[in-house]
Amino acid sequence: MIHMELESNLIKKSRLIFLSGNLMMSLGILFVTVGGSWDITNHVLNKPESFESVPHGVMYSGVALALIGTAISFLIWHKIEDKKSLKISLKLGVIGIAVLLSAGPIDFIWHSNFGLDGLLSPPHMSLIIGMILTSVGGMIGLVRYHVLSHSKISKFLIVIGLLPIWLASSGLISSLSLPFSNTGFFNFNPEPVSALIVATLCYPFLISLILISSSRLSKNKFGIITLIGGLFLAIYGTTAILPNFAMSDTILFYSTNLIPLVAADYIISKLNYKHAKYIGAGLLGSTFYMFYYPYIMYTYNEVLLGKLVSPSLIYSIYFELIVQVFFITLIPAVLAAFAGCYFSKHVCEKIEA
Amino acid sequence: MKKYFPIVIASVFVGVYLVLSLGVFPPLYLSKDLPSPQPYLEVKIPNNSISLGESFDLNIFSKNIGDYGDIHILSIGFPSLEKITDEVKVINSNFNHQYNFIEKNTLVGSNYSAGDHKVESQYALIEIMNRPSPPNGSYDFQLLITPKNAGLYEIYVKVIEIPHTGELSHFPQQGLLDPQGEYVSVYSVMVNR
Repeated sequence: MIHMELESNLIKKSRLIFLSGNLMMSLGILFVTVGGSWDITNHVLNKPESFESVPHGVMYSGVALALIGTAISFLIWHKIEDKKSLKISLKLGVIGIAVLLSAGPIDFIWHSNFGLDGLLSPPHMSLIIGMILTSVGGMIGLVRYHVLSHSKISKFLIVIGLLPIWLASSGLISSLSLPFSNTGFFNFNPEPVSALIVATLCYPFLISLILISSSRLSKNKFGIITLIGGLFLAIYGTTAILPNFAMSDTILFYSTNLIPLVAADYIISKLNYKHAKYIGAGLLGSTFYMFYYPYIMYTYNEVLLGKLVSPSLIYSIYFELIVQVFFITLIPAVLAAFAGCYFSKHVCEKIEA
Repeated sequence: MKKYFPIVIASVFVGVYLVLSLGVFPPLYLSKDLPSPQPYLEVKIPNNSISLGESFDLNIFSKNIGDYGDIHILSIGFPSLEKITDEVKVINSNFNHQYNFIEKNTLVGSNYSAGDHKVESQYALIEIMNRPSPPNGSYDFQLLITPKNAGLYEIYVKVIEIPHTGELSHFPQQGLLDPQGEYVSVYSVMVNR
Protein backbone atom coordinates (compact mmCIF):
# COMPACT_ATOMS: atom_id res chain seq x y z
CA MET A 1 0.00 0.00 0.00
CA ILE A 2 2.77 2.44 1.03
CA HIS A 3 4.78 1.34 -1.98
CA MET A 4 1.85 2.14 -4.31
CA GLU A 5 1.34 5.54 -2.72
CA LEU A 6 5.02 6.32 -3.08
CA GLU A 7 4.92 5.27 -6.72
CA SER A 8 1.86 7.41 -7.36
CA ASN A 9 3.55 10.38 -5.72
CA LEU A 10 6.65 9.80 -7.81
CA ILE A 11 4.61 9.71 -11.03
CA LYS A 12 2.81 12.91 -10.00
CA LYS A 13 6.12 14.55 -9.17
CA SER A 14 7.68 13.42 -12.45
CA ARG A 15 4.78 14.91 -14.38
CA LEU A 16 5.16 18.19 -12.51
CA ILE A 17 8.89 18.26 -13.25
CA PHE A 18 8.14 17.55 -16.93
CA LEU A 19 5.63 20.41 -16.83
CA SER A 20 8.28 22.70 -15.30
CA GLY A 21 10.59 21.74 -18.18
CA ASN A 22 7.90 22.66 -20.71
CA LEU A 23 7.20 25.89 -18.86
CA MET A 24 10.90 26.80 -18.99
CA MET A 25 11.02 25.99 -22.70
CA SER A 26 8.09 28.32 -23.41
CA LEU A 27 9.27 31.09 -21.08
CA GLY A 28 12.80 30.78 -22.49
CA ILE A 29 11.57 31.30 -26.04
CA LEU A 30 9.37 34.16 -24.80
CA PHE A 31 12.52 35.85 -23.45
CA VAL A 32 14.32 35.26 -26.76
CA THR A 33 11.46 36.87 -28.71
CA VAL A 34 11.26 39.84 -26.32
CA GLY A 35 15.05 40.36 -26.56
CA GLY A 36 14.88 39.89 -30.33
CA SER A 37 12.16 42.50 -30.80
CA TRP A 38 14.08 44.95 -28.60
CA ASP A 39 17.28 44.23 -30.53
CA ILE A 40 15.56 44.94 -33.87
CA THR A 41 14.40 48.29 -32.46
CA ASN A 42 17.97 49.11 -31.44
CA HIS A 43 19.13 48.28 -34.96
CA VAL A 44 16.39 50.42 -36.49
CA LEU A 45 17.35 53.26 -34.15
CA ASN A 46 20.94 52.75 -35.33
CA LYS A 47 22.33 52.37 -31.85
CA PRO A 48 25.86 50.96 -31.95
CA GLU A 49 25.89 47.16 -31.87
CA SER A 50 27.67 45.49 -28.98
CA PHE A 51 27.69 41.90 -27.78
CA GLU A 52 26.99 42.96 -24.19
CA SER A 53 23.75 44.86 -24.89
CA VAL A 54 20.70 44.33 -22.64
CA PRO A 55 18.53 42.85 -25.46
CA HIS A 56 21.28 40.33 -26.20
CA GLY A 57 21.40 39.47 -22.47
CA VAL A 58 17.64 38.83 -22.46
CA MET A 59 17.96 36.66 -25.57
CA TYR A 60 20.84 34.56 -24.22
CA SER A 61 19.09 34.12 -20.84
CA GLY A 62 16.07 32.87 -22.77
CA VAL A 63 18.15 30.40 -24.76
CA ALA A 64 19.74 29.12 -21.51
CA LEU A 65 16.31 28.78 -19.87
CA ALA A 66 14.87 26.91 -22.85
CA LEU A 67 17.92 24.64 -22.94
CA ILE A 68 17.63 23.81 -19.24
CA GLY A 69 13.89 23.23 -19.67
CA THR A 70 14.46 20.86 -22.60
CA ALA A 71 17.17 19.00 -20.66
CA ILE A 72 14.85 18.61 -17.63
CA SER A 73 12.00 17.35 -19.85
CA PHE A 74 14.39 14.94 -21.58
CA LEU A 75 15.77 13.53 -18.30
CA ILE A 76 12.41 13.09 -16.59
CA TRP A 77 10.43 11.91 -19.60
CA HIS A 78 11.09 8.16 -19.10
CA LYS A 79 9.67 8.40 -15.57
CA ILE A 80 6.30 9.90 -16.46
CA GLU A 81 3.20 7.79 -16.86
CA ASP A 82 1.77 9.23 -20.10
CA LYS A 83 5.00 9.05 -22.09
CA LYS A 84 3.30 8.45 -25.40
CA SER A 85 1.09 11.53 -25.36
CA LEU A 86 4.02 13.78 -24.40
CA LYS A 87 6.59 12.25 -26.75
CA ILE A 88 5.86 14.76 -29.51
CA SER A 89 6.37 17.65 -27.08
CA LEU A 90 9.79 16.32 -26.11
CA LYS A 91 10.75 15.50 -29.70
CA LEU A 92 9.94 19.01 -30.94
CA GLY A 93 11.68 20.55 -27.95
CA VAL A 94 14.90 18.61 -28.50
CA ILE A 95 14.97 19.20 -32.28
CA GLY A 96 14.04 22.86 -31.75
CA ILE A 97 16.72 23.55 -29.18
CA ALA A 98 19.33 21.78 -31.35
CA VAL A 99 18.39 23.94 -34.35
CA LEU A 100 18.31 27.04 -32.14
CA LEU A 101 21.74 26.32 -30.66
CA SER A 102 23.19 25.63 -34.10
CA ALA A 103 22.37 29.28 -34.92
CA GLY A 104 25.33 30.29 -32.70
CA PRO A 105 28.14 28.70 -34.75
CA ILE A 106 26.32 29.47 -38.02
CA ASP A 107 26.13 33.11 -36.92
CA PHE A 108 29.86 33.15 -36.09
CA ILE A 109 30.80 31.63 -39.47
CA TRP A 110 28.47 34.03 -41.27
CA HIS A 111 29.83 37.12 -39.50
CA SER A 112 33.42 35.97 -40.06
CA ASN A 113 32.86 35.59 -43.79
CA PHE A 114 30.24 38.14 -44.72
CA GLY A 115 30.19 40.75 -41.94
CA LEU A 116 26.92 41.94 -40.49
CA ASP A 117 23.78 40.07 -41.51
CA GLY A 118 20.28 41.40 -42.18
CA LEU A 119 17.00 40.17 -40.71
CA LEU A 120 16.72 37.36 -43.26
CA SER A 121 19.88 35.27 -43.13
CA PRO A 122 20.78 31.59 -42.55
CA PRO A 123 21.74 32.12 -38.87
CA HIS A 124 18.56 34.09 -38.16
CA MET A 125 16.43 31.51 -39.99
CA SER A 126 17.98 28.76 -37.91
CA LEU A 127 17.29 30.78 -34.75
CA ILE A 128 13.66 31.47 -35.67
CA ILE A 129 12.86 27.92 -36.80
CA GLY A 130 14.47 26.57 -33.62
CA MET A 131 12.38 29.00 -31.57
CA ILE A 132 9.15 27.96 -33.29
CA LEU A 133 9.83 24.23 -32.85
CA THR A 134 10.86 24.61 -29.20
CA SER A 135 7.87 26.79 -28.36
CA VAL A 136 5.46 24.39 -30.11
CA GLY A 137 7.02 21.54 -28.10
CA GLY A 138 6.62 23.50 -24.87
CA MET A 139 3.05 24.48 -25.73
CA ILE A 140 1.95 20.89 -26.45
CA GLY A 141 3.34 19.78 -23.07
CA LEU A 142 1.60 22.65 -21.26
CA VAL A 143 -1.74 22.17 -23.03
CA ARG A 144 -1.76 18.42 -22.45
CA TYR A 145 -1.07 19.06 -18.78
CA HIS A 146 -4.03 21.47 -18.77
CA VAL A 147 -6.25 18.86 -20.44
CA LEU A 148 -5.27 16.24 -17.87
CA SER A 149 -5.36 18.46 -14.77
CA HIS A 150 -8.44 20.65 -15.51
CA SER A 151 -7.33 23.04 -12.78
CA LYS A 152 -8.35 26.70 -12.98
CA ILE A 153 -4.77 27.97 -13.01
CA SER A 154 -3.74 25.62 -15.81
CA LYS A 155 -5.71 27.81 -18.27
CA PHE A 156 -2.89 30.32 -17.98
CA LEU A 157 -0.53 27.65 -19.25
CA ILE A 158 -2.30 27.99 -22.61
CA VAL A 159 -1.37 31.67 -22.67
CA ILE A 160 2.26 30.97 -21.74
CA GLY A 161 2.38 28.20 -24.33
CA LEU A 162 0.88 30.13 -27.25
CA LEU A 163 2.44 33.58 -26.78
CA PRO A 164 6.03 32.57 -27.70
CA ILE A 165 4.74 30.70 -30.77
CA TRP A 166 2.91 33.85 -31.85
CA LEU A 167 5.96 36.05 -31.36
CA ALA A 168 8.43 33.60 -32.94
CA SER A 169 6.16 33.02 -35.96
CA SER A 170 5.71 36.79 -36.30
CA GLY A 171 9.50 36.94 -36.50
CA LEU A 172 9.43 34.47 -39.40
CA ILE A 173 6.79 36.49 -41.30
CA SER A 174 8.68 39.72 -40.60
CA SER A 175 11.88 38.17 -41.97
CA LEU A 176 10.07 37.23 -45.16
CA SER A 177 8.33 40.57 -45.62
CA LEU A 178 10.40 43.41 -44.15
CA PRO A 179 13.10 45.08 -46.27
CA PHE A 180 15.75 44.76 -43.55
CA SER A 181 18.03 42.27 -45.28
CA ASN A 182 20.21 44.24 -47.68
CA THR A 183 23.80 44.00 -46.47
CA GLY A 184 27.17 44.65 -48.07
CA PHE A 185 27.50 41.07 -49.29
CA PHE A 186 23.96 39.95 -50.01
CA ASN A 187 20.62 41.53 -50.77
CA PHE A 188 18.08 39.14 -49.25
CA ASN A 189 15.34 41.77 -49.19
CA PRO A 190 12.10 40.14 -50.38
CA GLU A 191 10.64 41.34 -53.65
CA PRO A 192 8.28 44.19 -52.54
CA VAL A 193 5.01 42.89 -54.02
CA SER A 194 5.65 39.34 -52.77
CA ALA A 195 6.50 40.77 -49.35
CA LEU A 196 3.22 42.69 -49.34
CA ILE A 197 1.28 39.52 -50.20
CA VAL A 198 3.10 37.54 -47.50
CA ALA A 199 2.33 40.19 -44.86
CA THR A 200 -1.30 40.61 -45.93
CA LEU A 201 -2.06 36.90 -45.76
CA CYS A 202 0.27 35.52 -43.10
CA TYR A 203 -0.15 38.05 -40.27
CA PRO A 204 -3.99 37.77 -40.16
CA PHE A 205 -3.73 33.98 -40.50
CA LEU A 206 -1.33 33.85 -37.56
CA ILE A 207 -3.35 36.24 -35.36
CA SER A 208 -6.47 34.19 -35.98
CA LEU A 209 -4.73 30.82 -35.53
CA ILE A 210 -3.21 31.78 -32.17
CA LEU A 211 -6.12 33.69 -30.67
CA ILE A 212 -8.86 31.34 -31.82
CA SER A 213 -6.77 28.36 -30.66
CA SER A 214 -6.40 29.99 -27.24
CA SER A 215 -10.17 30.32 -27.09
CA ARG A 216 -10.80 26.74 -28.25
CA LEU A 217 -8.26 25.29 -25.80
CA SER A 218 -9.78 27.21 -22.89
CA LYS A 219 -13.29 26.13 -23.91
CA ASN A 220 -14.28 29.65 -25.00
CA LYS A 221 -13.54 31.17 -21.61
CA PHE A 222 -13.95 34.95 -21.78
CA GLY A 223 -10.69 36.78 -21.09
CA ILE A 224 -8.15 34.40 -22.62
CA ILE A 225 -8.07 36.14 -26.03
CA THR A 226 -7.85 39.53 -24.32
CA LEU A 227 -5.07 38.31 -22.02
CA ILE A 228 -2.85 36.76 -24.68
CA GLY A 229 -3.51 39.64 -27.11
CA GLY A 230 -2.91 42.19 -24.37
CA LEU A 231 0.42 40.58 -23.50
CA PHE A 232 1.39 40.64 -27.18
CA LEU A 233 0.56 44.36 -27.35
CA ALA A 234 2.46 45.01 -24.10
CA ILE A 235 5.58 43.25 -25.43
CA TYR A 236 5.50 45.05 -28.80
CA GLY A 237 4.65 48.33 -27.11
CA THR A 238 7.59 48.18 -24.72
CA THR A 239 10.15 46.76 -27.14
CA ALA A 240 9.23 48.35 -30.49
CA ILE A 241 7.42 51.61 -29.70
CA LEU A 242 8.49 53.09 -26.36
CA PRO A 243 12.28 52.85 -27.01
CA ASN A 244 11.83 55.09 -30.08
CA PHE A 245 11.84 58.64 -28.72
CA ALA A 246 10.05 60.03 -31.79
CA MET A 247 6.98 57.80 -31.48
CA SER A 248 6.63 57.02 -27.80
CA ASP A 249 3.40 59.08 -27.66
CA THR A 250 1.82 56.82 -30.29
CA ILE A 251 1.50 54.16 -27.58
CA LEU A 252 -1.97 55.64 -27.02
CA PHE A 253 -2.97 54.65 -30.55
CA TYR A 254 -1.41 51.21 -30.12
CA SER A 255 -3.22 50.53 -26.87
CA THR A 256 -6.60 50.95 -28.60
CA ASN A 257 -5.90 47.54 -30.16
CA LEU A 258 -7.26 46.14 -26.92
CA ILE A 259 -10.74 47.08 -28.16
CA PRO A 260 -11.00 44.50 -31.00
CA LEU A 261 -9.45 41.91 -28.68
CA VAL A 262 -12.16 42.43 -26.08
CA ALA A 263 -14.86 42.59 -28.78
CA ALA A 264 -13.74 39.33 -30.43
CA ASP A 265 -13.35 37.68 -27.03
CA TYR A 266 -16.88 38.77 -26.10
CA ILE A 267 -18.42 37.57 -29.37
CA ILE A 268 -16.74 34.17 -29.20
CA SER A 269 -17.53 33.51 -25.56
CA LYS A 270 -21.04 34.98 -25.38
CA LEU A 271 -22.60 34.70 -28.83
CA ASN A 272 -24.63 31.55 -29.13
CA TYR A 273 -23.98 31.04 -32.83
CA LYS A 274 -22.22 28.21 -34.65
CA HIS A 275 -19.85 30.48 -36.55
CA ALA A 276 -19.13 32.97 -33.78
CA LYS A 277 -15.44 32.08 -33.93
CA TYR A 278 -15.29 33.05 -37.61
CA ILE A 279 -16.81 36.44 -36.81
CA GLY A 280 -14.20 36.94 -34.08
CA ALA A 281 -11.40 35.70 -36.33
CA GLY A 282 -12.40 38.03 -39.19
CA LEU A 283 -12.49 40.97 -36.83
CA LEU A 284 -9.08 40.15 -35.36
CA GLY A 285 -7.47 39.45 -38.74
CA SER A 286 -8.67 42.74 -40.22
CA THR A 287 -6.68 44.67 -37.59
CA PHE A 288 -3.27 43.14 -38.41
CA TYR A 289 -1.82 46.40 -39.76
CA MET A 290 -2.58 48.06 -36.41
CA PHE A 291 -1.34 45.07 -34.38
CA TYR A 292 2.01 45.01 -36.09
CA TYR A 293 2.63 48.77 -35.78
CA PRO A 294 5.20 50.18 -36.46
CA TYR A 295 7.54 48.04 -38.59
CA ILE A 296 4.87 46.57 -40.89
CA MET A 297 4.79 50.03 -42.50
CA TYR A 298 8.15 49.32 -44.21
CA THR A 299 6.56 46.49 -46.25
CA TYR A 300 3.65 48.61 -47.53
CA ASN A 301 5.76 51.75 -47.99
CA GLU A 302 7.99 49.85 -50.44
CA VAL A 303 5.05 49.31 -52.81
CA LEU A 304 2.64 52.16 -52.08
CA LEU A 305 4.82 55.19 -51.30
CA GLY A 306 8.50 54.33 -51.73
CA LYS A 307 9.49 56.98 -49.21
CA LEU A 308 12.86 57.04 -47.54
CA VAL A 309 12.26 55.97 -43.93
CA SER A 310 14.41 56.97 -41.00
CA PRO A 311 13.48 56.06 -37.41
CA SER A 312 11.91 59.39 -36.49
CA LEU A 313 9.71 59.31 -39.62
CA ILE A 314 8.32 55.79 -39.07
CA TYR A 315 5.12 56.91 -37.37
CA SER A 316 4.40 59.62 -39.90
CA ILE A 317 4.68 57.28 -42.92
CA TYR A 318 2.71 54.61 -41.02
CA PHE A 319 -0.23 56.97 -40.42
CA GLU A 320 -0.03 58.27 -43.97
CA LEU A 321 -0.70 54.71 -45.13
CA ILE A 322 -3.10 53.37 -42.51
CA VAL A 323 -6.47 54.09 -44.19
CA GLN A 324 -5.28 52.98 -47.62
CA VAL A 325 -3.74 49.75 -46.29
CA PHE A 326 -6.80 48.96 -44.16
CA PHE A 327 -9.19 49.08 -47.12
CA ILE A 328 -6.83 47.39 -49.61
CA THR A 329 -6.13 44.48 -47.27
CA LEU A 330 -9.53 44.12 -45.59
CA ILE A 331 -10.95 41.29 -47.72
CA PRO A 332 -7.77 39.17 -48.10
CA ALA A 333 -7.00 39.65 -44.40
CA VAL A 334 -10.46 38.52 -43.33
CA LEU A 335 -10.26 35.47 -45.64
CA ALA A 336 -6.80 34.59 -44.29
CA ALA A 337 -8.17 34.94 -40.75
CA PHE A 338 -11.02 32.54 -41.64
CA ALA A 339 -8.39 30.07 -42.86
CA GLY A 340 -6.52 30.50 -39.56
CA CYS A 341 -9.74 29.85 -37.65
CA TYR A 342 -10.47 26.72 -39.68
CA PHE A 343 -6.91 25.46 -39.26
CA SER A 344 -7.00 26.13 -35.50
CA LYS A 345 -9.89 23.68 -35.15
CA HIS A 346 -7.79 20.83 -36.53
CA VAL A 347 -4.67 21.88 -34.64
CA CYS A 348 -6.52 22.02 -31.32
CA GLU A 349 -8.15 18.65 -31.92
CA LYS A 350 -4.73 17.12 -32.52
CA ILE A 351 -3.16 18.77 -29.48
CA GLU A 352 -5.98 17.74 -27.18
CA ALA A 353 -6.21 14.19 -28.56
CA MET B 1 -33.15 39.54 -30.05
CA LYS B 2 -31.26 38.79 -26.86
CA LYS B 3 -29.27 36.22 -28.82
CA TYR B 4 -27.69 38.98 -30.90
CA PHE B 5 -26.92 41.26 -27.98
CA PRO B 6 -23.17 40.36 -28.00
CA ILE B 7 -23.01 41.31 -31.69
CA VAL B 8 -24.59 44.70 -30.99
CA ILE B 9 -22.18 45.37 -28.11
CA ALA B 10 -19.15 44.22 -30.12
CA SER B 11 -20.21 46.32 -33.13
CA VAL B 12 -20.27 49.43 -30.96
CA PHE B 13 -16.77 48.56 -29.71
CA VAL B 14 -15.48 47.95 -33.24
CA GLY B 15 -17.08 51.18 -34.49
CA VAL B 16 -15.34 53.19 -31.78
CA TYR B 17 -12.08 51.40 -32.58
CA LEU B 18 -12.28 52.13 -36.32
CA VAL B 19 -13.17 55.78 -35.74
CA LEU B 20 -10.21 56.15 -33.37
CA SER B 21 -7.62 54.27 -35.42
CA LEU B 22 -8.61 55.45 -38.88
CA GLY B 23 -10.25 58.80 -38.24
CA VAL B 24 -8.90 60.36 -35.05
CA PHE B 25 -5.32 59.21 -34.47
CA PRO B 26 -3.84 59.49 -38.01
CA PRO B 27 -4.61 63.22 -38.49
CA LEU B 28 -3.64 63.86 -34.87
CA TYR B 29 -0.18 62.31 -35.26
CA LEU B 30 0.32 63.63 -38.78
CA SER B 31 -0.27 67.17 -37.53
CA LYS B 32 2.82 66.90 -35.32
CA ASP B 33 5.84 68.80 -36.62
CA LEU B 34 8.44 66.52 -38.13
CA PRO B 35 11.77 66.65 -36.31
CA SER B 36 14.21 69.05 -37.87
CA PRO B 37 17.78 68.34 -36.76
CA GLN B 38 20.28 70.96 -37.87
CA PRO B 39 24.03 70.39 -38.14
CA TYR B 40 26.79 72.87 -37.52
CA LEU B 41 30.48 72.57 -38.25
CA GLU B 42 33.76 74.22 -37.25
CA VAL B 43 37.14 73.27 -38.69
CA LYS B 44 40.47 74.39 -37.31
CA ILE B 45 43.84 73.95 -38.99
CA PRO B 46 46.67 75.47 -36.91
CA ASN B 47 49.12 75.81 -39.85
CA ASN B 48 48.04 76.97 -43.28
CA SER B 49 51.49 76.35 -44.69
CA ILE B 50 53.92 73.51 -43.99
CA SER B 51 57.04 72.02 -45.54
CA LEU B 52 56.95 68.68 -47.35
CA GLY B 53 57.49 65.92 -44.80
CA GLU B 54 55.80 67.88 -41.99
CA SER B 55 52.36 67.11 -40.60
CA PHE B 56 49.37 69.28 -39.79
CA ASP B 57 46.34 68.81 -37.54
CA LEU B 58 42.78 68.94 -38.81
CA ASN B 59 40.38 69.53 -35.91
CA ILE B 60 36.70 69.16 -36.69
CA PHE B 61 33.95 70.06 -34.28
CA SER B 62 30.38 69.27 -35.30
CA LYS B 63 27.09 69.67 -33.49
CA ASN B 64 23.36 69.16 -33.86
CA ILE B 65 21.83 72.55 -33.04
CA GLY B 66 18.30 71.50 -34.02
CA ASP B 67 15.77 68.84 -33.00
CA TYR B 68 16.37 65.21 -32.23
CA GLY B 69 17.78 63.43 -35.29
CA ASP B 70 18.43 59.86 -36.32
CA ILE B 71 21.92 60.12 -37.77
CA HIS B 72 24.64 62.80 -37.71
CA ILE B 73 27.02 62.14 -40.62
CA LEU B 74 30.41 63.80 -40.99
CA SER B 75 32.20 63.38 -44.30
CA ILE B 76 35.78 64.42 -45.04
CA GLY B 77 36.93 64.30 -48.65
CA PHE B 78 40.51 64.23 -49.93
CA PRO B 79 40.33 65.24 -53.62
CA SER B 80 44.03 64.49 -54.12
CA LEU B 81 43.83 60.93 -52.80
CA GLU B 82 42.46 57.71 -54.31
CA LYS B 83 42.57 55.92 -50.99
CA ILE B 84 43.42 56.69 -47.39
CA THR B 85 46.93 55.53 -46.58
CA ASP B 86 49.31 56.23 -43.71
CA GLU B 87 49.43 59.91 -44.65
CA VAL B 88 46.08 60.39 -42.88
CA LYS B 89 45.82 59.27 -39.26
CA VAL B 90 42.81 59.53 -36.98
CA ILE B 91 44.02 60.95 -33.67
CA ASN B 92 40.75 61.41 -31.83
CA SER B 93 37.05 60.73 -32.30
CA ASN B 94 34.12 60.78 -29.91
CA PHE B 95 31.50 59.64 -32.45
CA ASN B 96 29.68 56.52 -31.28
CA HIS B 97 30.27 54.68 -34.55
CA GLN B 98 33.53 53.62 -36.13
CA TYR B 99 34.81 55.74 -39.04
CA ASN B 100 34.97 54.30 -42.55
CA PHE B 101 37.76 54.85 -45.06
CA ILE B 102 36.19 54.97 -48.50
CA GLU B 103 38.27 54.50 -51.65
CA LYS B 104 37.72 56.15 -55.02
CA ASN B 105 35.03 54.42 -57.18
CA THR B 106 33.04 53.15 -54.20
CA LEU B 107 29.26 53.63 -54.22
CA VAL B 108 28.31 56.41 -51.83
CA GLY B 109 25.07 58.26 -51.03
CA SER B 110 24.22 61.36 -53.00
CA ASN B 111 21.84 64.33 -52.96
CA TYR B 112 21.22 64.00 -49.24
CA SER B 113 19.29 60.76 -49.80
CA ALA B 114 20.89 58.84 -46.91
CA GLY B 115 22.15 56.17 -49.27
CA ASP B 116 18.94 55.81 -51.27
CA HIS B 117 20.56 57.25 -54.40
CA LYS B 118 24.18 56.32 -54.93
CA VAL B 119 27.04 57.54 -57.09
CA GLU B 120 30.66 56.43 -57.39
CA SER B 121 33.09 58.36 -55.22
CA GLN B 122 35.62 60.40 -57.20
CA TYR B 123 38.26 60.48 -54.45
CA ALA B 124 39.04 59.09 -50.99
CA LEU B 125 36.65 59.92 -48.16
CA ILE B 126 36.30 59.37 -44.45
CA GLU B 127 32.73 58.97 -43.24
CA ILE B 128 31.69 58.78 -39.64
CA MET B 129 28.33 58.82 -37.90
CA ASN B 130 26.72 59.34 -34.56
CA ARG B 131 23.44 57.46 -34.14
CA PRO B 132 21.06 58.78 -32.94
CA SER B 133 21.73 62.51 -32.95
CA PRO B 134 20.31 64.17 -29.83
CA PRO B 135 19.79 67.95 -29.67
CA ASN B 136 23.04 69.74 -28.74
CA GLY B 137 25.03 66.55 -29.26
CA SER B 138 28.58 67.67 -30.11
CA TYR B 139 31.38 65.66 -31.67
CA ASP B 140 35.11 66.01 -32.17
CA PHE B 141 37.15 64.41 -34.88
CA GLN B 142 40.86 65.02 -35.17
CA LEU B 143 43.21 63.99 -37.97
CA LEU B 144 46.97 64.18 -38.35
CA ILE B 145 47.85 64.59 -42.01
CA THR B 146 51.33 64.22 -43.53
CA PRO B 147 51.06 65.11 -47.23
CA LYS B 148 53.29 63.14 -49.58
CA ASN B 149 53.40 65.73 -52.35
CA ALA B 150 54.08 69.43 -52.49
CA GLY B 151 51.37 71.85 -53.60
CA LEU B 152 47.94 72.91 -52.41
CA TYR B 153 46.43 70.17 -50.21
CA GLU B 154 42.64 70.45 -50.22
CA ILE B 155 40.13 68.91 -47.85
CA TYR B 156 36.34 68.93 -48.27
CA VAL B 157 34.20 68.76 -45.14
CA LYS B 158 30.41 68.47 -44.78
CA VAL B 159 27.96 67.32 -42.17
CA ILE B 160 24.43 66.00 -42.73
CA GLU B 161 21.55 65.21 -40.40
CA ILE B 162 19.04 62.43 -41.05
CA PRO B 163 16.10 62.87 -41.41
CA HIS B 164 17.04 65.36 -44.05
CA THR B 165 13.97 67.55 -44.09
CA GLY B 166 15.26 70.68 -45.79
CA GLU B 167 18.08 73.15 -46.40
CA LEU B 168 18.92 73.37 -42.71
CA SER B 169 19.56 69.63 -42.49
CA HIS B 170 23.04 69.97 -44.00
CA PHE B 171 26.08 72.14 -43.45
CA PRO B 172 27.36 74.02 -45.32
CA GLN B 173 24.19 75.22 -47.03
CA GLN B 174 26.04 76.76 -49.96
CA GLY B 175 29.45 76.76 -51.58
CA LEU B 176 31.08 74.08 -53.66
CA LEU B 177 28.95 71.12 -54.80
CA ASP B 178 30.94 67.89 -54.54
CA PRO B 179 30.53 64.91 -56.92
CA GLN B 180 27.82 63.59 -54.58
CA GLY B 181 25.74 66.69 -55.30
CA GLU B 182 26.17 67.95 -51.74
CA TYR B 183 27.69 71.20 -50.48
CA VAL B 184 31.15 71.08 -48.92
CA SER B 185 33.38 73.55 -47.09
CA VAL B 186 36.83 73.63 -48.64
CA TYR B 187 39.96 73.91 -46.48
CA SER B 188 43.51 73.93 -47.75
CA VAL B 189 47.10 73.83 -46.61
CA MET B 190 50.05 74.86 -48.76
CA VAL B 191 52.75 72.19 -48.76
CA ASN B 192 56.11 73.74 -49.68
CA ARG B 193 59.15 71.90 -51.02
